[in-house]
Amino acid sequence: MKYRKLMAAMALASGFAAQPALAEDLTLEFVVWNYSLETIQDNVKQFEQANPGIKVKVTDYAWQDYNDSLILRIRGNTPTDVVYGGQDWLPAWGAAGFIAPLVSVAPKGTVEELSKDIAGFALTDVTYDGKVYGLPYYSDTISFIYNKKILADAGIAVPTTWEEVTAAAEKLKAGGMDKPIIYEYDQELPNFYDAFVAQSYGRGAQLFDAELNPLFADPENGAYKQLQWIADAYSKGLVQSDKHESTIIPAMNTGKHAFTIVYTYVLAALNDAATQPLAGQFALAPMPGETHATLGFAKSYVVTAKTAADPARAEAAWKFVNFMAGKPYTVAKRWAVEKGLGFGQLPLFEDKDVIAAWGKWADVGALGKQASIAKAGTYTEFSSVWSAYFRPLLAQAMVGEAPVDQVMKDGAQRWTELKEQFANR
Amino acid sequence: MWSSNRFPGLWLLPALLPVVLMTLYPIGHALWTSLHEVMILLPGEPFVGLKNYQRVIGSNYFHAALRNSLVFTLIAAPSVVLLGTMIALFLRRRFLGSEVVRSVVLLPWVLPGAISAVLWVWVFHPSFGILNGILHDLGLIDASIPWLTNPQTALLAVAVAHVWTQIPFAVILLMAALSAINSETLEAAAIDCRNPLKRFRYIVFPEIKAMIVVLLVYNALTAFTSYDLVYAMTGGGPGTATTLLSFQIWRESFSMYDFGAGSAVAFIVVIISACLITAITRALPSDLFASD
Repeated sequence: MKYRKLMAAMALASGFAAQPALAEDLTLEFVVWNYSLETIQDNVKQFEQANPGIKVKVTDYAWQDYNDSLILRIRGNTPTDVVYGGQDWLPAWGAAGFIAPLVSVAPKGTVEELSKDIAGFALTDVTYDGKVYGLPYYSDTISFIYNKKILADAGIAVPTTWEEVTAAAEKLKAGGMDKPIIYEYDQELPNFYDAFVAQSYGRGAQLFDAELNPLFADPENGAYKQLQWIADAYSKGLVQSDKHESTIIPAMNTGKHAFTIVYTYVLAALNDAATQPLAGQFALAPMPGETHATLGFAKSYVVTAKTAADPARAEAAWKFVNFMAGKPYTVAKRWAVEKGLGFGQLPLFEDKDVIAAWGKWADVGALGKQASIAKAGTYTEFSSVWSAYFRPLLAQAMVGEAPVDQVMKDGAQRWTELKEQFANR
Repeated sequence: MWSSNRFPGLWLLPALLPVVLMTLYPIGHALWTSLHEVMILLPGEPFVGLKNYQRVIGSNYFHAALRNSLVFTLIAAPSVVLLGTMIALFLRRRFLGSEVVRSVVLLPWVLPGAISAVLWVWVFHPSFGILNGILHDLGLIDASIPWLTNPQTALLAVAVAHVWTQIPFAVILLMAALSAINSETLEAAAIDCRNPLKRFRYIVFPEIKAMIVVLLVYNALTAFTSYDLVYAMTGGGPGTATTLLSFQIWRESFSMYDFGAGSAVAFIVVIISACLITAITRALPSDLFASD
C-alpha cells in the first residue's frame, strides 16, 4: 500500500514537473477565410511537426465576412498573430496600426531576398508605405474565359476587343442562346470591382494618376468606356448576372453561356472532368481590349502589430509565415498543384509539377503571358471604403438605374473627399 | 419585515439590471455614436451633432432603401400571417401523416438564414434553378427569368424567401391560439353554420385576433429589420433594388467603417419601427393592448 502511495505521489510530482515543458509551447492564432480549410489544417499540421514547441490554432471566417470579422477581432483585442491579408485591405490595416512590416519580425535581409522572387504586381500588393507587409499566399489574375466548342460550332473567332465580344454575343443570341455572357456580380464583394478594373486594364485604362487623382470620370478613359460597354451589354439582354463563381461554374457547364470574367483559378474548376459535364471546353483568352492587360493581385500572410511587438511570438510568427510562403515554396506549390491557385513566387512557373498539373486545365503558356502583363490595382488607406461606396454605383449603371456619367462623377467625387479626409487625419 | 411594497426598486433590480445592461446601454451608446464621427480607420471621435443623420438622409441610397423597406414589410408581414393562419387551420385537422407534415412545416425555422438564402439562390437561379425549370416545362416561359438579378423581380424574390423562413413561427403561435378555443363553441358553431368562412370570421377570428395582432407587429419588425437574406441573396442589388435600411446599417458600419453613419441609420430604423408598431396596433385593436 505504501509503495502504491509512493508511486502515486511520484506520478503526481512528475506531472507537475512536466508542466513547465508544456508551458513553453507557444500557440499562434492564425486567422483565415474558409477556402479549402482541410488543406490549411494539413499545412498547419506539417508546420507543427517541423517546429516543435509552436502550435497553431486556425480560426476561419466566410470570405464575405472576413474583413469585418478581422477588424472587430483586432479592435476587440482578441489574440491574433498571423492573418490572411487582401491587397485592398492591406493599406488600411497598415495605416490603422493593425499589422506590422515583415522586416520587424524576420531576420535581417530575409524579406529583401524573398522579395526578389515575387512577381511585380504581387509585390506591389503586399507593400504599403514602401514596406513589405506580407508574403503571397495566393496570387492570381482575372481572366476572360470562353467556351471553345460553342464558339467553334457557331463559327466565331475568339474576340480580341470588347466590341468583338458584343458582336459574338449578339450572333449567339440570334442563334438561340439567351444570355451568352455570364457576369459575376455581388456588389458587396471586392471581386466585383476587381473584375471591372481588369476589364478596364484590357482597354489600357489608367484609373488614377501618380498623385492618386481619379481619371475615370473622363469619357475618353477606358474605365468609363468599359462601364458604358457593360451597361449596353445589359440593355441588349446579352448578360446574365451571377452572384458568385460557385454558381457560375455549374451555369457555364449547362452550355447556356459562352463567356465569363472570373479569377483565373476558376478555370481549373470549370475544366474539372470529375465534377463538370463540359470539362475541357473552357479556355482563357487575353483580356479583350487594345493592351490585353488585366488585374493581378495577391493575398498574403501578414503578421499583426501586437505579435511583432512580442519577441517570442514574433519569432514564431515569422517561422510560420516563412514556412507557408518562403523558400522552397512547398506550400505555395501545393496550392498550385492541388487547387490550381496562382502564386506570386516566380520560380514556381519553372516547376515541372506545377506545369504538369496546370496543363490539365489551362494553356500554361497563355497563363504565363497573361501574368507577365498583369498590372496591380491602386490601393490606398481609404480604397476599401471607397470601393464599398462605388460598387453599388457601378451596379446601378450596369442595370440602367443610373447613367454612366453620373456614376463616374459621383465615384470620383467620393474618392477625392476621402483622399482629403484621410490626408487631414 | 421584508415586503415588495417596502423596497420595490430593490426587488425589481434583478430584472432591471439586465435590461439596463443589455438594452439601454447599447441604445445609449449607439445614440452617442450617431452624434460623433466614428470611423475606425481615423483617429479620434469628434462630436458632429446631426451631421451623420444629414449625410445618410441625403445619400444616394436613402430614399430607395426606405421605399424598399416599407414595400418589403408591406408584402412580408401580412403574407406571413395570412399563410401562417391558413397552414395552422389546415394542420389542426387529423389526417394520415399529419404529424410528419407538422414537423416538415417547422423545417424553415430551424435552418440558419444563410442556408435558407443559399437554397433560394439555387431555386431562383436562371440557368439551373428549379423555378425556371418548372415554368419552362409548363410552357409558361420561353427564356429563363433572372429573378434575383432583375430590378423588377429581385425584391419580390427575396420577400418570398423571407416569408418562407418566418411562416413556421407564425404557425406554431396560431396553432396554440386555435387550440385554446373552447371545443364546445366550435361544435356549436359547426351545427349552427355550415359555411366555414363565416365560422372563421365570426367564431375563430375573434378568438385568435390578439395573436394575429402580435404576429403582425412581430413580422412587421422582423421584415423591416431583415438583413441576412438580403445580404446573402442579392447584396442589396441589383443597383438599389433590394437595398433595405437595415442592410445599410451594416454597409455603413462594416463595409465603409463609418459607425457614426451606421448608428444614425439604426436610429432612423428604430423611429420608423416605433411608428409601424403604433400604426398596426391602432389599426387592429385587440384585447391584448386594451387597458383595464
